[in-house]
Amino acid sequence: MELIERYIYAVTHRLPQSQREDIAKELRGLIEDMLEERGHEGQVTEKQVEEVLLELGDPRKLADKYRGTKRYLIGPELFDHYLMVLKIALIATGVVIGATFVIQVMLDPSSILESFISLIVSTVNGIPMAFGWTTFGFAVIQFVGAKQLNVNLQEKKSWNPSDLPVVPDPKGRVKRGDAIAGIVFYTIFIAIFGVSNEYFGVWFFEDGKFHNVIPFFNEDLYGYYFLFIVLMFGFGIIKECLKLIYGRWTMKLVIFTLIVNVISGIGLLFVIAEPAIWNPNFMSQLVESGLVVAQSETYNVISFIWGKVTYWLFILWLFALVWDVIDGYIRVRRSKRSE
Amino acid sequence: MSDTNEHLDKLMQELRRGTLTIGVLSQLFEPQYGYSLVASLEERNFHVEPGTLYPLLRRLEKQGLLESKWDTNEARPRKYYLLSETGKEVFTQLVDEWKSMVGSLENLLQNKGGS
Repeated sequence: MELIERYIYAVTHRLPQSQREDIAKELRGLIEDMLEERGHEGQVTEKQVEEVLLELGDPRKLADKYRGTKRYLIGPELFDHYLMVLKIALIATGVVIGATFVIQVMLDPSSILESFISLIVSTVNGIPMAFGWTTFGFAVIQFVGAKQLNVNLQEKKSWNPSDLPVVPDPKGRVKRGDAIAGIVFYTIFIAIFGVSNEYFGVWFFEDGKFHNVIPFFNEDLYGYYFLFIVLMFGFGIIKECLKLIYGRWTMKLVIFTLIVNVISGIGLLFVIAEPAIWNPNFMSQLVESGLVVAQSETYNVISFIWGKVTYWLFILWLFALVWDVIDGYIRVRRSKRSE
Repeated sequence: MSDTNEHLDKLMQELRRGTLTIGVLSQLFEPQYGYSLVASLEERNFHVEPGTLYPLLRRLEKQGLLESKWDTNEARPRKYYLLSETGKEVFTQLVDEWKSMVGSLENLLQNKGGS
Protein backbone atom coordinates (compact mmCIF):
# COMPACT_ATOMS: atom_id res chain seq x y z
CA MET A 1 0.00 0.00 0.00
CA GLU A 2 1.35 3.36 -1.03
CA LEU A 3 0.46 5.15 2.20
CA ILE A 4 2.60 2.71 4.21
CA GLU A 5 5.60 3.27 1.95
CA ARG A 6 5.14 7.00 2.24
CA TYR A 7 5.10 6.73 6.02
CA ILE A 8 8.21 4.54 6.09
CA TYR A 9 10.00 6.92 3.77
CA ALA A 10 9.00 9.88 5.96
CA VAL A 11 10.70 8.18 8.91
CA THR A 12 13.77 6.66 7.28
CA HIS A 13 14.90 9.56 5.11
CA ARG A 14 15.59 11.44 8.35
CA LEU A 15 17.93 8.69 9.53
CA PRO A 16 21.53 7.78 8.66
CA GLN A 17 21.88 5.92 5.37
CA SER A 18 23.35 2.84 7.02
CA GLN A 19 20.28 2.20 9.18
CA ARG A 20 17.57 3.06 6.67
CA GLU A 21 17.06 -0.31 5.05
CA ASP A 22 16.98 -2.26 8.28
CA ILE A 23 14.57 0.13 9.98
CA ALA A 24 12.33 0.24 6.90
CA LYS A 25 12.09 -3.55 6.86
CA GLU A 26 11.29 -3.67 10.56
CA LEU A 27 8.70 -0.90 10.34
CA ARG A 28 6.99 -2.56 7.39
CA GLY A 29 6.72 -5.77 9.40
CA LEU A 30 5.35 -3.84 12.37
CA ILE A 31 2.65 -2.09 10.35
CA GLU A 32 1.60 -5.37 8.75
CA ASP A 33 1.47 -7.01 12.18
CA MET A 34 -0.64 -4.18 13.51
CA LEU A 35 -3.05 -4.43 10.58
CA GLU A 36 -3.23 -8.19 10.97
CA GLU A 37 -4.02 -7.94 14.68
CA ARG A 38 -7.02 -5.81 13.86
CA GLY A 39 -8.30 -8.61 11.69
CA HIS A 40 -7.72 -6.80 8.46
CA GLU A 41 -5.81 -9.62 6.86
CA GLY A 42 -6.03 -9.87 3.13
CA GLN A 43 -7.98 -6.78 2.32
CA VAL A 44 -7.10 -3.54 3.97
CA THR A 45 -8.80 -0.24 3.40
CA GLU A 46 -7.06 3.07 3.39
CA LYS A 47 -8.93 4.05 6.55
CA GLN A 48 -7.56 1.08 8.45
CA VAL A 49 -4.02 1.90 7.38
CA GLU A 50 -4.56 5.47 8.48
CA GLU A 51 -5.66 4.27 11.89
CA VAL A 52 -2.51 2.24 12.34
CA LEU A 53 -0.27 5.06 11.14
CA LEU A 54 -2.00 7.47 13.50
CA GLU A 55 -1.24 5.10 16.35
CA LEU A 56 2.44 5.09 15.37
CA GLY A 57 2.37 8.88 15.39
CA ASP A 58 4.21 11.70 13.67
CA PRO A 59 7.02 10.24 11.53
CA ARG A 60 9.28 13.10 12.52
CA LYS A 61 8.94 12.22 16.19
CA LEU A 62 9.48 8.56 15.47
CA ALA A 63 12.64 9.39 13.54
CA ASP A 64 13.81 11.51 16.50
CA LYS A 65 13.33 8.54 18.80
CA TYR A 66 15.34 6.33 16.46
CA ARG A 67 18.10 8.86 16.26
CA GLY A 68 18.20 9.36 20.01
CA THR A 69 19.92 12.75 19.74
CA LYS A 70 18.70 16.16 18.75
CA ARG A 71 20.07 17.64 15.57
CA TYR A 72 21.82 20.97 15.49
CA LEU A 73 24.40 22.86 13.49
CA ILE A 74 26.25 24.34 16.45
CA GLY A 75 25.77 22.59 19.76
CA PRO A 76 25.26 24.15 23.16
CA GLU A 77 28.87 23.48 24.18
CA LEU A 78 30.14 25.70 21.33
CA PHE A 79 27.36 28.24 21.22
CA ASP A 80 28.89 30.77 23.66
CA HIS A 81 32.15 30.86 21.75
CA TYR A 82 30.24 31.09 18.50
CA LEU A 83 28.29 34.14 19.67
CA MET A 84 31.44 35.88 20.84
CA VAL A 85 33.39 35.29 17.61
CA LEU A 86 30.32 36.26 15.59
CA LYS A 87 30.08 39.57 17.45
CA ILE A 88 33.74 40.33 16.84
CA ALA A 89 33.49 39.41 13.16
CA LEU A 90 30.40 41.54 12.64
CA ILE A 91 31.84 44.56 14.45
CA ALA A 92 35.10 44.34 12.51
CA THR A 93 33.29 43.98 9.19
CA GLY A 94 31.00 46.90 10.00
CA VAL A 95 33.87 49.17 11.00
CA VAL A 96 35.94 48.30 7.91
CA ILE A 97 32.96 48.98 5.63
CA GLY A 98 32.21 52.25 7.42
CA ALA A 99 35.85 53.36 7.29
CA THR A 100 36.02 52.55 3.59
CA PHE A 101 32.99 54.73 3.01
CA VAL A 102 34.47 57.65 4.97
CA ILE A 103 37.77 57.38 3.09
CA GLN A 104 36.01 57.25 -0.26
CA VAL A 105 33.94 60.33 0.55
CA MET A 106 37.01 62.22 1.69
CA LEU A 107 38.90 61.26 -1.44
CA ASP A 108 36.14 62.26 -3.77
CA PRO A 109 33.29 64.19 -2.12
CA SER A 110 31.52 64.82 -5.41
CA SER A 111 30.73 61.17 -5.98
CA ILE A 112 29.20 60.69 -2.56
CA LEU A 113 26.17 59.00 -4.11
CA GLU A 114 28.32 56.31 -5.70
CA SER A 115 30.20 55.85 -2.44
CA PHE A 116 26.89 55.48 -0.65
CA ILE A 117 25.70 52.87 -3.12
CA SER A 118 28.92 50.92 -2.74
CA LEU A 119 28.51 51.24 1.05
CA ILE A 120 25.11 49.58 0.79
CA VAL A 121 26.42 46.95 -1.61
CA SER A 122 29.33 46.03 0.62
CA THR A 123 27.03 45.97 3.66
CA VAL A 124 24.63 43.61 1.90
CA ASN A 125 27.55 41.45 0.74
CA GLY A 126 29.91 41.75 3.67
CA ILE A 127 27.68 41.24 6.70
CA PRO A 128 26.18 37.94 5.49
CA MET A 129 29.66 36.87 4.44
CA ALA A 130 31.08 37.46 7.92
CA PHE A 131 28.03 35.74 9.38
CA GLY A 132 28.25 32.86 6.94
CA TRP A 133 31.95 32.15 7.31
CA THR A 134 31.83 32.31 11.09
CA THR A 135 28.87 29.94 11.15
CA PHE A 136 30.51 27.67 8.60
CA GLY A 137 33.71 27.55 10.61
CA PHE A 138 31.87 26.62 13.77
CA ALA A 139 29.70 24.06 11.98
CA VAL A 140 32.89 22.37 10.78
CA ILE A 141 34.33 22.39 14.30
CA GLN A 142 31.06 20.92 15.56
CA PHE A 143 30.97 18.26 12.88
CA VAL A 144 34.61 17.23 13.14
CA GLY A 145 34.97 17.76 16.86
CA ALA A 146 31.70 16.24 18.07
CA LYS A 147 33.37 12.98 19.08
CA GLN A 148 36.30 14.77 20.63
CA LEU A 149 33.94 16.96 22.64
CA ASN A 150 32.08 13.93 23.90
CA VAL A 151 35.36 12.48 25.12
CA ASN A 152 36.13 15.75 26.87
CA LEU A 153 32.73 15.83 28.51
CA GLN A 154 33.22 12.31 29.76
CA GLU A 155 36.61 13.17 31.15
CA LYS A 156 35.00 16.02 33.01
CA LYS A 157 32.99 13.50 35.01
CA SER A 158 35.96 12.97 37.31
CA TRP A 159 35.59 16.57 38.35
CA ASN A 160 37.11 17.81 41.56
CA PRO A 161 36.05 20.83 43.64
CA SER A 162 39.69 21.95 43.67
CA ASP A 163 39.38 22.38 39.87
CA LEU A 164 37.09 25.33 40.47
CA PRO A 165 38.69 28.53 39.22
CA VAL A 166 39.21 31.28 41.76
CA VAL A 167 36.66 34.06 41.57
CA PRO A 168 38.75 36.70 39.85
CA ASP A 169 39.43 39.95 41.61
CA PRO A 170 37.84 42.78 39.58
CA LYS A 171 41.34 44.13 39.00
CA GLY A 172 42.53 40.80 37.63
CA ARG A 173 39.62 40.35 35.27
CA VAL A 174 40.20 40.82 31.57
CA LYS A 175 37.86 43.47 30.25
CA ARG A 176 36.11 41.79 27.35
CA GLY A 177 35.31 45.11 25.72
CA ASP A 178 39.00 46.05 25.69
CA ALA A 179 40.06 42.75 24.18
CA ILE A 180 37.34 42.87 21.52
CA ALA A 181 38.20 46.49 20.71
CA GLY A 182 41.83 45.36 20.35
CA ILE A 183 40.92 42.61 17.90
CA VAL A 184 38.73 44.98 15.88
CA PHE A 185 41.54 47.56 15.84
CA TYR A 186 44.14 45.06 14.61
CA THR A 187 41.78 43.69 11.96
CA ILE A 188 41.03 47.16 10.62
CA PHE A 189 44.69 48.03 10.42
CA ILE A 190 45.54 44.85 8.57
CA ALA A 191 42.68 45.59 6.18
CA ILE A 192 43.80 49.18 5.64
CA PHE A 193 47.42 48.26 5.07
CA GLY A 194 46.54 45.28 2.93
CA VAL A 195 44.04 46.94 0.66
CA SER A 196 44.88 50.60 0.60
CA ASN A 197 48.40 51.13 1.87
CA GLU A 198 48.90 53.75 -0.82
CA TYR A 199 46.38 55.96 0.97
CA PHE A 200 48.34 55.89 4.18
CA GLY A 201 50.00 59.24 4.12
CA VAL A 202 49.43 62.95 3.80
CA TRP A 203 46.52 63.66 1.51
CA PHE A 204 46.99 66.38 -0.98
CA PHE A 205 43.91 68.11 -2.35
CA GLU A 206 43.64 70.37 -5.32
CA ASP A 207 40.53 72.50 -5.90
CA GLY A 208 38.72 70.58 -3.19
CA LYS A 209 39.28 67.29 -4.99
CA PHE A 210 41.61 64.56 -3.94
CA HIS A 211 44.75 64.74 -5.97
CA ASN A 212 47.59 62.79 -4.53
CA VAL A 213 49.01 61.08 -1.47
CA ILE A 214 52.44 61.56 -0.08
CA PRO A 215 52.94 58.16 1.48
CA PHE A 216 54.46 57.69 4.91
CA PHE A 217 55.98 54.41 3.86
CA ASN A 218 58.58 53.49 1.33
CA GLU A 219 56.59 51.93 -1.45
CA ASP A 220 59.56 50.01 -2.79
CA LEU A 221 59.67 48.11 0.46
CA TYR A 222 55.93 47.52 0.49
CA GLY A 223 56.19 43.72 0.62
CA TYR A 224 58.68 43.87 3.45
CA TYR A 225 56.70 46.07 5.75
CA PHE A 226 53.39 44.52 4.85
CA LEU A 227 54.63 41.13 6.03
CA PHE A 228 55.96 42.74 9.17
CA ILE A 229 52.69 44.51 9.90
CA VAL A 230 50.57 41.43 9.30
CA LEU A 231 52.81 39.42 11.61
CA MET A 232 52.77 42.10 14.28
CA PHE A 233 49.01 42.63 14.22
CA GLY A 234 48.38 38.94 13.72
CA PHE A 235 50.23 38.23 16.95
CA GLY A 236 48.25 41.03 18.54
CA ILE A 237 45.00 39.31 17.57
CA ILE A 238 46.23 35.99 18.97
CA LYS A 239 47.12 37.75 22.21
CA GLU A 240 43.71 39.39 22.57
CA CYS A 241 42.01 36.07 21.81
CA LEU A 242 44.01 34.41 24.57
CA LYS A 243 42.89 37.13 26.96
CA LEU A 244 39.28 36.47 26.02
CA ILE A 245 39.68 32.72 26.44
CA TYR A 246 41.34 32.98 29.86
CA GLY A 247 38.96 35.69 31.05
CA ARG A 248 41.29 36.71 33.85
CA TRP A 249 44.92 37.48 34.27
CA THR A 250 46.90 34.43 35.25
CA MET A 251 50.62 33.76 35.30
CA LYS A 252 50.18 31.59 32.21
CA LEU A 253 48.54 34.44 30.34
CA VAL A 254 51.31 36.82 31.36
CA ILE A 255 53.86 34.35 30.01
CA PHE A 256 51.94 34.00 26.76
CA THR A 257 51.75 37.77 26.47
CA LEU A 258 55.46 37.97 27.19
CA ILE A 259 56.29 35.49 24.42
CA VAL A 260 54.02 37.20 21.88
CA ASN A 261 55.32 40.63 22.80
CA VAL A 262 58.96 39.54 22.64
CA ILE A 263 58.34 38.29 19.09
CA SER A 264 56.63 41.57 18.19
CA GLY A 265 59.44 43.46 19.87
CA ILE A 266 62.10 41.64 17.85
CA GLY A 267 60.14 42.55 14.74
CA LEU A 268 60.13 46.15 15.86
CA LEU A 269 63.87 46.19 16.45
CA PHE A 270 64.36 44.94 12.90
CA VAL A 271 62.33 47.87 11.66
CA ILE A 272 64.27 50.38 13.71
CA ALA A 273 67.44 48.91 12.26
CA GLU A 274 65.87 49.32 8.83
CA PRO A 275 64.65 52.91 8.68
CA ALA A 276 64.17 52.48 4.95
CA ILE A 277 60.62 51.42 5.75
CA TRP A 278 59.73 55.10 5.84
CA ASN A 279 59.40 57.05 2.65
CA PRO A 280 62.90 58.57 2.25
CA ASN A 281 61.59 61.29 -0.05
CA PHE A 282 58.75 62.34 2.23
CA MET A 283 60.03 65.88 2.82
CA SER A 284 61.02 66.57 -0.79
CA GLN A 285 57.64 65.27 -1.99
CA LEU A 286 55.93 67.62 0.44
CA VAL A 287 57.84 70.49 -1.10
CA GLU A 288 57.11 69.32 -4.63
CA SER A 289 53.40 69.21 -3.90
CA GLY A 290 53.58 72.86 -2.99
CA LEU A 291 52.21 72.34 0.51
CA VAL A 292 55.40 73.52 2.15
CA VAL A 293 58.07 75.90 1.00
CA ALA A 294 61.55 74.47 1.27
CA GLN A 295 63.69 75.72 4.16
CA SER A 296 60.80 77.79 5.59
CA GLU A 297 60.00 77.64 9.27
CA THR A 298 57.10 75.25 8.68
CA TYR A 299 59.41 73.03 6.68
CA ASN A 300 61.88 72.87 9.54
CA VAL A 301 59.16 72.10 12.06
CA ILE A 302 57.64 69.33 9.92
CA SER A 303 61.05 67.95 9.10
CA PHE A 304 61.90 67.86 12.80
CA ILE A 305 58.59 66.21 13.71
CA TRP A 306 58.90 63.71 10.86
CA GLY A 307 62.34 62.71 11.99
CA LYS A 308 61.33 62.36 15.62
CA VAL A 309 57.96 60.69 15.08
CA THR A 310 59.31 57.93 12.85
CA TYR A 311 61.86 57.17 15.54
CA TRP A 312 59.79 57.64 18.67
CA LEU A 313 56.79 55.79 17.32
CA PHE A 314 58.75 52.56 17.56
CA ILE A 315 60.13 53.40 20.95
CA LEU A 316 56.62 54.13 22.21
CA TRP A 317 55.34 50.93 20.67
CA LEU A 318 58.16 48.96 22.27
CA PHE A 319 57.33 50.61 25.57
CA ALA A 320 53.63 49.67 25.14
CA LEU A 321 54.62 46.04 24.58
CA VAL A 322 56.72 46.01 27.74
CA TRP A 323 53.99 47.77 29.71
CA ASP A 324 51.42 45.23 28.50
CA VAL A 325 53.41 42.47 30.21
CA ILE A 326 54.14 44.46 33.38
CA ASP A 327 50.49 45.48 33.66
CA GLY A 328 49.41 41.84 33.36
CA TYR A 329 51.92 40.82 35.99
CA ILE A 330 50.72 43.50 38.40
CA ARG A 331 47.13 42.41 37.91
CA VAL A 332 48.01 38.81 38.69
CA ARG A 333 49.83 39.89 41.86
CA ARG A 334 46.98 42.09 42.98
CA SER A 335 44.30 39.48 42.47
CA LYS A 336 46.48 36.91 44.30
CA ARG A 337 46.97 39.21 47.26
CA SER A 338 43.25 39.81 47.75
CA GLU A 339 42.46 36.10 47.80
CA MET B 1 -7.36 20.50 37.15
CA SER B 2 -5.87 20.43 33.67
CA ASP B 3 -2.71 21.85 35.22
CA THR B 4 -2.51 18.87 37.56
CA ASN B 5 -2.94 16.53 34.62
CA GLU B 6 -0.18 18.23 32.75
CA HIS B 7 2.24 17.81 35.64
CA LEU B 8 1.15 14.24 36.11
CA ASP B 9 1.71 13.50 32.44
CA LYS B 10 5.25 14.81 32.50
CA LEU B 11 6.14 13.01 35.70
CA MET B 12 4.62 9.76 34.45
CA GLN B 13 6.66 10.06 31.27
CA GLU B 14 9.85 10.33 33.28
CA LEU B 15 8.83 7.48 35.54
CA ARG B 16 7.98 5.24 32.59
CA ARG B 17 11.19 5.91 30.73
CA GLY B 18 13.28 4.09 33.31
CA THR B 19 10.89 1.29 34.14
CA LEU B 20 10.25 0.54 30.47
CA THR B 21 13.82 -0.63 29.97
CA ILE B 22 13.56 -3.03 32.91
CA GLY B 23 10.24 -4.35 31.63
CA VAL B 24 11.57 -4.89 28.13
CA LEU B 25 14.76 -6.58 29.26
CA SER B 26 12.77 -8.92 31.52
CA GLN B 27 10.92 -10.40 28.55
CA LEU B 28 13.92 -11.05 26.35
CA PHE B 29 15.45 -14.18 27.87
CA GLU B 30 13.64 -15.82 24.95
CA PRO B 31 13.97 -14.22 21.48
CA GLN B 32 11.05 -12.00 20.54
CA TYR B 33 10.31 -9.64 17.71
CA GLY B 34 9.03 -6.16 18.36
CA TYR B 35 5.33 -6.69 17.99
CA SER B 36 5.22 -9.98 19.89
CA LEU B 37 6.96 -8.14 22.71
CA VAL B 38 4.30 -5.40 22.66
CA ALA B 39 1.66 -8.14 22.94
CA SER B 40 3.39 -10.07 25.70
CA LEU B 41 3.92 -6.89 27.73
CA GLU B 42 0.31 -5.88 27.14
CA GLU B 43 -0.84 -9.30 28.40
CA ARG B 44 0.85 -8.52 31.70
CA ASN B 45 -0.77 -5.08 31.86
CA PHE B 46 2.42 -3.28 30.87
CA HIS B 47 1.40 -0.86 28.15
CA VAL B 48 3.95 0.35 25.62
CA GLU B 49 3.57 2.12 22.29
CA PRO B 50 5.27 0.36 19.36
CA GLY B 51 6.60 3.76 18.32
CA THR B 52 8.51 3.88 21.60
CA LEU B 53 9.47 0.24 21.84
CA TYR B 54 11.05 -0.18 18.41
CA PRO B 55 13.58 2.64 18.74
CA LEU B 56 14.32 1.47 22.30
CA LEU B 57 15.11 -2.06 21.11
CA ARG B 58 17.55 -0.66 18.59
CA ARG B 59 19.20 1.52 21.16
CA LEU B 60 19.62 -1.40 23.58
CA GLU B 61 21.07 -3.45 20.74
CA LYS B 62 23.53 -0.68 19.93
CA GLN B 63 24.54 -0.52 23.59
CA GLY B 64 25.25 -4.24 23.47
CA LEU B 65 22.54 -5.31 25.92
CA LEU B 66 20.60 -7.09 23.18
CA GLU B 67 21.48 -9.24 20.22
CA SER B 68 19.36 -9.46 17.12
CA LYS B 69 18.74 -11.80 14.23
CA TRP B 70 16.55 -11.55 11.17
CA ASP B 71 14.21 -14.50 10.64
CA THR B 72 13.22 -14.70 7.01
CA ASN B 73 11.56 -18.14 7.13
CA GLU B 74 8.16 -16.81 8.12
CA ALA B 75 5.63 -15.12 5.87
CA ARG B 76 7.14 -11.74 6.64
CA PRO B 77 10.73 -11.13 7.75
CA ARG B 78 11.05 -10.34 11.44
CA LYS B 79 13.87 -9.09 13.55
CA TYR B 80 14.23 -11.08 16.77
CA TYR B 81 15.88 -9.59 19.83
CA LEU B 82 17.50 -11.53 22.67
CA LEU B 83 19.44 -10.57 25.81
CA SER B 84 23.19 -10.73 25.32
CA GLU B 85 25.51 -11.98 28.06
CA THR B 86 26.17 -8.39 29.13
CA GLY B 87 22.44 -7.75 28.94
CA LYS B 88 21.72 -10.61 31.33
CA GLU B 89 24.29 -9.34 33.83
CA VAL B 90 23.02 -5.78 33.63
CA PHE B 91 19.44 -6.95 33.98
CA THR B 92 20.17 -8.97 37.14
CA GLN B 93 21.84 -6.01 38.79
CA LEU B 94 19.13 -3.67 37.59
CA VAL B 95 16.47 -5.85 39.23
CA ASP B 96 18.37 -5.73 42.53
CA GLU B 97 18.57 -1.96 42.32
CA TRP B 98 14.92 -1.74 41.45
CA LYS B 99 13.89 -3.88 44.41
CA SER B 100 15.89 -1.88 46.87
CA MET B 101 14.45 1.33 45.36
CA VAL B 102 10.89 0.01 45.70
CA GLY B 103 11.65 -0.97 49.31
CA SER B 104 12.99 2.39 50.34
CA LEU B 105 10.28 4.28 48.51
CA GLU B 106 7.61 2.12 50.14
CA ASN B 107 9.18 2.95 53.47
CA LEU B 108 9.02 6.66 52.65
CA LEU B 109 5.40 6.50 51.58
CA GLN B 110 4.38 4.77 54.80
CA ASN B 111 6.07 7.36 56.96
CA LYS B 112 5.05 10.57 55.23
CA GLY B 113 6.75 13.51 56.86
CA GLY B 114 4.78 14.80 59.84
CA SER B 115 1.84 12.39 59.68
